[in-house]
Amino acid sequence: MYKRTKFFDPNYYKFIGSWAWILHRLSGLALIFYLSLHIWVINSLTYGPDKFNEVMTFLASPLFKILEVGLWGVILFHAFNGVRVVIVDFFKGSLFHKKLFFVLIAIAFVMWAWGSYIILSHIR
Amino acid sequence: MKKNFKETSKAGAIAWLLQRISAVVLFVLLIIHYVTYHFIASGNVPWKEVAAKMQSPWFNLMQFIFLLTALYHGLNGVWMVVEDYFHSRFWRLLIFSLILVGGSGLFFVGMLTIFKVSNLNLGA
Repeated sequence: MYKRTKFFDPNYYKFIGSWAWILHRLSGLALIFYLSLHIWVINSLTYGPDKFNEVMTFLASPLFKILEVGLWGVILFHAFNGVRVVIVDFFKGSLFHKKLFFVLIAIAFVMWAWGSYIILSHIR
Repeated sequence: MKKNFKETSKAGAIAWLLQRISAVVLFVLLIIHYVTYHFIASGNVPWKEVAAKMQSPWFNLMQFIFLLTALYHGLNGVWMVVEDYFHSRFWRLLIFSLILVGGSGLFFVGMLTIFKVSNLNLGA
């Protein structure tokens, strides 16, 4: 029969790859939740300028901009760790995947700081 | 052991490959999406600006591909997680159906937004 997978088995979390794996999973689940919200909310475009601009002004409050900064971080983590997954799977990334993790996360962090600066400058 | 649906050795291979192909496509489209929509100077994206962009058929083709790949990648990702933790035929069928129905609904709402906004007459 099947061996049931534990969602969090501390024995495996001595390695960076295990953390990358579980965080990739959790960020993925968070992102599909956000994507659903985004598709739903952006439908207000069809209600015309007044309704849409009202929604956008509501979302320009500091609370939502700070959430957006978090979202940008989650997206970048998932995207750059995803690059690592592709390199490990199709190229010989398994030989240097730990180094790769830190290099890609460093690039993601720079992009996060850059994007966050822009997002926060949009607070109304 | 009774074979469950989707549990032959090759069943997940195509999904696995498509997950990585869509990942690469999404990486590029997501950056374009962020720069064109979220990192523009005005920030508080006014309706007129969005609607003007969505008059270009090429931009809309990109939006369509973005919507499709994002939903596929996201929901296929959810399904991969579900396969790890749900083993009964009942739960798998139920969740798979929910993913299909939810995904179709979101795809429909997204396409509705693209079509309705791109058909609007900006001059009027």
